[in-house]
Amino acid sequence: MKRATYSRLLLELAAVLLACCVIVPFAMICIGSVKNVREAALFSLSLPTEWAFGNYAEVVKAAHIGRGFFNSFFISGLVVLSVAVCASMAAFVIQRRNDRLLRAVYYLFIMGLIVPASIIPTIKLMMDLHIHNTYPGIVLYYTSVLLPFSVFLLTGFMKSVPRELDESAVIDGCGFFRLYVSIVLPLLISVLVTVTIVVMMAVWNDFFGPFYLITDSTKWTIILSVYSFVTQYNTNWGLVFAFMVMVISPVLVIYLFLQKYIIEGLTAGSLKG
Amino acid sequence: MVKSLKYPYYFVLPALLIYTLLSVTPKLMGFYYSMTDWNLHAKEIAFIGLDNYRKMFADEEMIGAFKNTIVFAFFATILQNVCGLGLAMLLNAKLRLQNVLRTVFFLPYVIAPIITGYIFTALYHPEHGLVNEALRLIGLGALAQDWLNDPNYAMFSVIVTDIWRLSGFAMVIYLAGLQIIPKDLTEAAQIDGAGFWQRFRNIIFPLLAPSFTVNFLLSLIGSMKVFELVMVLTRGGPGYATQVFNTYILSAFSSGIYGYGTAVNVVLFLLITAIGIPVLVGLRRRELEM
Repeated sequence: MKRATYSRLLLELAAVLLACCVIVPFAMICIGSVKNVREAALFSLSLPTEWAFGNYAEVVKAAHIGRGFFNSFFISGLVVLSVAVCASMAAFVIQRRNDRLLRAVYYLFIMGLIVPASIIPTIKLMMDLHIHNTYPGIVLYYTSVLLPFSVFLLTGFMKSVPRELDESAVIDGCGFFRLYVSIVLPLLISVLVTVTIVVMMAVWNDFFGPFYLITDSTKWTIILSVYSFVTQYNTNWGLVFAFMVMVISPVLVIYLFLQKYIIEGLTAGSLKG
Repeated sequence: MVKSLKYPYYFVLPALLIYTLLSVTPKLMGFYYSMTDWNLHAKEIAFIGLDNYRKMFADEEMIGAFKNTIVFAFFATILQNVCGLGLAMLLNAKLRLQNVLRTVFFLPYVIAPIITGYIFTALYHPEHGLVNEALRLIGLGALAQDWLNDPNYAMFSVIVTDIWRLSGFAMVIYLAGLQIIPKDLTEAAQIDGAGFWQRFRNIIFPLLAPSFTVNFLLSLIGSMKVFELVMVLTRGGPGYATQVFNTYILSAFSSGIYGYGTAVNVVLFLLITAIGIPVLVGLRRRELEM
């Protein structure tokens, strides 16, 4: 009995030590964000000798932080909407008809999960279509990138929506569009929550897309603002850390409140779909 | 009775149109442009056959990027799975702080990779970085390195950062798999005298097959596409020590040699498909056999 408690204690100690490896880097940037240039460059965990809360004010002044947040929020919101609508409509007929043509369409989407984007031709194509550097352009780009995963997930989930519902609705004179809007869609809500979370996180954290596709700084997402800010102010880590804390905080707050759904959603997406 | 409803095809159109236009088309265009001399200064784009591909074989930086991507993908995939599974087993042991720990370990996953990159740039600082400070603190100061600027350690440092970022995700998938395994199975084995290792090898690991497939594939495909971490931490350097496909494509793009950059992208495409699909098929078959 005694041996068991000792080994349990040991396991707990190991787990806590590992958790520190995750927490310490976050602690470092929080502390660093209120240090002056000289002290912040030492990257230590010791408290500042003089508190430089002014870093935050300076970042707000220099970095167009409101604009960055607005763009991230605006773009990811539109992407969520367009992915949810397009993917759920597609998944609905793909799963229900399941004929040769739609199975081919399904596999075409699945290929998108594996094959990497060809970014240079994407830029050219978007320029030719005159949607390069525009909100619709970046929204359509993200939609195309995130559709494969969402179609995969929603098609899997459609199997659990009973066909009998469709049949009785159609017998009662319901059109397919109404069937989709008022019967199928409400039943898909739980997966749509997962899709929303995945899409939001993907767009919010993404650097690759906007880095290549948005050269107009007024349309930069917050992550791109961080990049350009660091390039410009890389000698003042106090400011850089302050900016990073401001970008991370909303994500952390949302994660801490919704972590159950975030983790469950991502797990469901990966395991059940 | 309605025997078979004629669900209308047009429901698939919005998704199919957007996807085909902005995802499939540029990939197909890529095959063509990879065989042209398309560049920043050219007035016209000329077809040059396989010249770009020939040039790649002679380009040491490209060969380096190829090797580095494979090395990175190999270690990142294995270590993410080992660490993720380790954490999952640890947390499955009903520790007191279980929920807090789960929240903490998953935390790095929700942070943008580029920010993780910047955080680790500070951690790896040769003089003041916490990594070296910690080594000195425990008396291993001799092991302190210039983690990102020494070609011998740069790739290792990038891989460690990737493990820090993604182990928590693998952990969550493995935890979900572990929770489906019936308790009676492992308990019965324990009563029959099976040690921890035997239980793990013969019961737990085989039953984790679906979680393993998901984790293994996601880390394999994701790590071959690695971009932000390398770009922020080392910019492909020192020299070409950490150059991977996506950073090499960026440097080709910045130099304005678009046709060549596209050809590099096509090779990455082929590499991921050639490795990803057989692995997927193999893992799925293994799931069925077990």
